[in-house]
Amino acid sequence: MIIDFNVNGEMKHLQVRSGDRLVDVLRDRLSIESLLPDCLSGRCGRCFIFLDGRLVHSCLLPAFKAKGTRIVTFEGIAGSPEVAEIEEALRQAGALPCPFCRTAKIMAIVDLLDRHPLPDEAVALEQLDMVSCACTDPASLVKAVGLAADARSRRKFNRANQ
Amino acid sequence: MRISEVYFPETIAETLELLHANPELQLMAGGTEIVGTQPTRSIALERQVASIVKIKELRKTVRTEQFLELGSCTTLTGLRSLASGTLPEPLYEVIGGIANHGIRNTATIGGNLCCKTRFMDLWPVLACLDAQIELRSMAGTRWAGVSHLCGDDGTPRFPPATLMSRIRIPLFTYNFIFVRSMGGNALPGPDTATFACMANLGRDKIEDFRLIFSGTKAFRLKEHEMSIDGKRHGLKGRELQSMVDFYTEAFASQDWYDQRLFASLAQEAFERLCS
Repeated sequence: MIIDFNVNGEMKHLQVRSGDRLVDVLRDRLSIESLLPDCLSGRCGRCFIFLDGRLVHSCLLPAFKAKGTRIVTFEGIAGSPEVAEIEEALRQAGALPCPFCRTAKIMAIVDLLDRHPLPDEAVALEQLDMVSCACTDPASLVKAVGLAADARSRRKFNRANQ
Repeated sequence: MRISEVYFPETIAETLELLHANPELQLMAGGTEIVGTQPTRSIALERQVASIVKIKELRKTVRTEQFLELGSCTTLTGLRSLASGTLPEPLYEVIGGIANHGIRNTATIGGNLCCKTRFMDLWPVLACLDAQIELRSMAGTRWAGVSHLCGDDGTPRFPPATLMSRIRIPLFTYNFIFVRSMGGNALPGPDTATFACMANLGRDKIEDFRLIFSGTKAFRLKEHEMSIDGKRHGLKGRELQSMVDFYTEAFASQDWYDQRLFASLAQEAFERLCS
């Protein structure tokens, strides 16, 4: 079947099979390399996308479910101030994730700060628990989340005062 | 790989027509359970599939003084994000323990209740809360208790060519709630199960007692629950132990889950109930 959907601001018109996973279509057909079909069970976070604004596992979605949706992958937000702030916060907190989980952890933090501008530790830990890679210690990650939240609120405050 | 025919109905009426024409039609809302339990790269689906998650009528939420009525395609995140105090407390807790935020963004309450192979986490809690489901087919619309989704042999059942359109949850609350979810994976596995025990503790009596344990099967002693209603809640010693033993022995004949784990949960639940 042919489906139309928007990926990172561009309309796509693709023929997909009913058994295709969305992650495979995005990676193999649209060359979105931040995505990886790894665990296929919603544990590793390597397939995170924003689907109509919600963070979801693209490995758990049949490709046909993308019909008429708006998808944003890590590539779509990579140059944004939000991601720059998170990367700087991770560096400052000494919580640099490994190459395997880096994009997943950044996507999880972006989603967290969109929903909770000042998340408490329990909420941050629950969100980061979605990425099963244990390369970074949770305390440093929570510290990085706090730093990124501060940076984001400072930027918004400055913009409001301009 | 089998190629399935996929439909995208936009209304309940369209879905019912499709179901009438193809009683084997596979309805897919979030699809997390259908897809997540398949370890292969390619997903196997039925010959005909209908993606119903975008049907607006199935995403409505209505709240009255007595109940909360949810469209079956309400996501678990949507359900949990309802205003504080809108959702019965045990339901809020259980949803928070289901998988992770990413999966809850996709998974729906209808999908959670309609799983063909097992009872997922919401079913025992909604059964304790006496929730009702609206079942629609070309023959008409009817309401039934959530317990209706359990067959006589304790396994899940769902009427053919039928759509679950709404879930109605009474907003009364129990003052004794004991719910435990077992199993550590994001998606259900063989060790996934839920123990739910609720009651109202009056001045000195137990009322509206319910105890349900479910996983691949469901265990509930409905008639025995009535015999517990009216007992004093300060029970101790032999009387308390006899209630625990009754449940433990009845569960031993089931042979589908760790007996010792059930026994320790029953012990803890009754001790708390009677403390």
